Amino acid sequence: MNATKPLLDAVFATALDLPDPGQRKLFLDQICAGQPDLRTEVEALLRTQDEADRFFVTGSSALVLGAEDLAAAAFPAPGVTPPRVDERIGTRIGRYHLLQRLGEGGCGVVYQAEQAEPVRRQVALKVIKRGMDTQSVIARFEAERQALARMDHPNIARVLDAGATDTGRPYFVMELVPGTPVNEYCDEHRLDLRARLQLFVPICHAIQHAHQKGVIHRDIKPSNVMVTVQDGVPVPKVIDFGIAKATEGRLTDNPAFTVSEPFIGTPAYMSPEQAERSGLDIDTRSDVYSLGVLLYELLTGRTPFDGRQMAAAGVERMRQTLRELDPPPPSARVNSLRGGDLTRIAGSRQTEPDALAGALRGDLDCIVMKALAKDRADRYQTVNGLALDVQRYLESEPVAARPPSQFYRFQKLVRRNRLVFGATAAVAAALVIGLGTATRLYFQERAARQEEARLRAAAEASELRETALRRQAEAREQMNQAAILITQQRYAEADKLLDAMQTPPPSVEGASTFRLVGNLLAIQGRWPDAAERFAGLLKIDTLDDWNDVTLDHQLYATELVESGELDRYRRFCREVVANFVLSTNGRADWRILKAGLLLPADPPLITSLTPLATVAEKDFTAMSRRAGVNDPWGAIPMALWKYRRGDFAGAAELCTLCLTNKNEYPVQIQTDRMILAMADWQLGRRTEAEAELAAGREVIEAKFKNPLGLGNANQGFWWDWVFARILMREAIALAESPPPPEGSSPPPVPPREPEPQPTDTGSSTIAS
Amino acid sequence: MSDITLVLQAIGRRESQAAEQLLPLVYEELRRLAAARMAQEAAGHTLQPTALVHEAWLQLVADGDRTWQNRAHFFGAAADAMRRILIDKARRKARLKHGGGQARLDISELDLAGASPDDHVLLIEEALQRLETEDPAQARIVVLKFFGGLTNKEVAENLGLGERTVGRDWASAKAWMFRWIRSKN
Repeated sequence: MNATKPLLDAVFATALDLPDPGQRKLFLDQICAGQPDLRTEVEALLRTQDEADRFFVTGSSALVLGAEDLAAAAFPAPGVTPPRVDERIGTRIGRYHLLQRLGEGGCGVVYQAEQAEPVRRQVALKVIKRGMDTQSVIARFEAERQALARMDHPNIARVLDAGATDTGRPYFVMELVPGTPVNEYCDEHRLDLRARLQLFVPICHAIQHAHQKGVIHRDIKPSNVMVTVQDGVPVPKVIDFGIAKATEGRLTDNPAFTVSEPFIGTPAYMSPEQAERSGLDIDTRSDVYSLGVLLYELLTGRTPFDGRQMAAAGVERMRQTLRELDPPPPSARVNSLRGGDLTRIAGSRQTEPDALAGALRGDLDCIVMKALAKDRADRYQTVNGLALDVQRYLESEPVAARPPSQFYRFQKLVRRNRLVFGATAAVAAALVIGLGTATRLYFQERAARQEEARLRAAAEASELRETALRRQAEAREQMNQAAILITQQRYAEADKLLDAMQTPPPSVEGASTFRLVGNLLAIQGRWPDAAERFAGLLKIDTLDDWNDVTLDHQLYATELVESGELDRYRRFCREVVANFVLSTNGRADWRILKAGLLLPADPPLITSLTPLATVAEKDFTAMSRRAGVNDPWGAIPMALWKYRRGDFAGAAELCTLCLTNKNEYPVQIQTDRMILAMADWQLGRRTEAEAELAAGREVIEAKFKNPLGLGNANQGFWWDWVFARILMREAIALAESPPPPEGSSPPPVPPREPEPQPTDTGSSTIAS
Repeated sequence: MSDITLVLQAIGRRESQAAEQLLPLVYEELRRLAAARMAQEAAGHTLQPTALVHEAWLQLVADGDRTWQNRAHFFGAAADAMRRILIDKARRKARLKHGGGQARLDISELDLAGASPDDHVLLIEEALQRLETEDPAQARIVVLKFFGGLTNKEVAENLGLGERTVGRDWASAKAWMFRWIRSKN
């Protein structure tokens, strides 16, 4: 082994964190460049990793045997019969007196018990079967206790207490819910599909409430949703909150895990990510999946996959099934049932076999399958989203799971929103970049070790916590809901929703929602609201390309000016110029110039805009030369730039040239006229100025007499017209002020600087 | 109050020698507890050494001071005790199976594919001893994870590391040890 072990470890562990083969290869290409030995060793380690895992698994199974031998040696005659669990009736566990045995589940026995202190009440007490580390179960429960205590919802049965029995088994004490599992209740009472869906919605609300309090159930299934009848109304109650989390963990921690062990959740209801080896990565969307299974079962009488078959096939097959196999949609599942079963299932739903499949086809199929998506990014992002869709179905509104076709693309974009993966990739990228540094320290093992430690600390710090994940999921769902409202043209509600969002997640799709709403507000003249939307948009839009981003900046500037928020506008100008000062994209700089020069600019702003203007002018000259005529869109910021710097003659000349160009659009012509009017006025050509102003003013004011609309490239977009109108107001104010003294150089513009040379990058100007 | 509690308190007071007294005490307690558990429970189940360690902690220190410092010491010692107990056990069995006589198993004589679970443990032990000279910090993680059965989180708390660091080191250590084992076979 030639590479030093710390470096080898660092590279290996990082590569392991990059499950995508392409990314991994890229990483190794970079990190091992010029070090074939390192690469060989890392790849050898990676190749044998699975085998190594198996080796340790076998080893640990020997440890189990060893412990038994140990016990047998220390106590050679273990002939004592274990006490029968039922003999516990009448005895006490902690401060609970056991009254009767209620049932036995996969992970323990449930008793009805009475608590005497501090209040006399009856409770359900669940004693977990052996096989668990009592201490860590209780420790995990304690960790969750605060969150559990915060839950207060009529559809949640509270978990009251946890402890250890005398024989060291963990137990949980819960609110006693006399009732029937939800699927049995529905069948016994022959509830039709509608009644079943109505019962499903409060279940979702209960889970959503828990999520908001930071609790993920992790084991949603019919036997954990009891229906109890209160005043003749069936009320579902979700039980066992916090227990799955407290008793899980052996799936990932114990290498000797087998599927026959009781504490792995319930295969039929388990989400793909819960079944994975790295099952730590569970968030609220795992509960969305399990609710999808529950809904599937309530509708069809069957789970998507057969739980017993899955358990029998072994854990690897189960993972594979959950990962790869798409279950049939509910309607298809019903159709595939055998005659007798089908008639019975349809009958318990008060319908005929054909009618049942027909009712499921379409929206209900879509809702269920969206909840059951393999990739949680494709599921409802929150339980609330699922509940809303079920309610929409009940109210015959279009459901989000099945978008209207004309908005399909937009919807898809919203659904594709994958911040979580983005964040993971960012961590990986940080590691890749960081490790590049480590490699340079190749021969300084100590330093490399320190660097590695720093990187690890950074990676840990950026690890997403459960709460953060939930907030992001909620934000995505709100974004999704806003998008749905937009498709239904309920803009006011969409706006309200976006307004309530504290920190929208950065994403292209989120940005497009904000942009759309912002634009809609703008054409209604609701400038402060539009400006807020665009402020949010600029905050989250770190992913769009320059074209969208610079246009957003221009629009935001326009909206601020129209809102009368001049201080904010000036602050914004300073920030934007600083952000774009190194931009070498001429057309992006046009937009920034237009944003920054909407109002008269003070000398510092002019100075800091100079490098941008230099690049923009070069681009403008090049484009105009190619076209054989001044580029009309480029001419506007150029003319404005000349005017704002006090080069009135230059501005007037450029505008006049443009106005002779027959191919200009109306909005361009009016804008040129306004700049020309102001330049003429500054040059003392009052008559010409007034003529230009009057001609332009007529067209602009006519335009604003009608609803603005978003506009288009030919007629001009709303922002082009608003831009022209802002300049028009300035020109009118100028025309009403006393004329400048003949021959004097006009305030308030800075002293003229020499025209930038084409080769001048402008950096020297800003430095001065 | 049990002896272990007293020793843990002594460790808490930073009395030297106390830490060395812990291991034999934990060792004996684990043996006693394993026997008690086997007697108590139905046949046909598996006895997880991990569960034993946790239960030992629960029962022995139940009335005592459960500060984290002591907990860390306890689990560290328990993992060492488990390692000693289980390796002794596996050696004895392997010696019987392989004809006896050797104090240590010569891994070069083992066919990896045909190795029994006990052989696996012994090979891992060999590799672990090697790792202890190469990278003692990582070796400590292996002891706590493999013999102590602690979760990544518990190991992280025990050693004052990040949970993620533990996961990465555990993966690296397994790969490294396995490769070493293979290179000897």
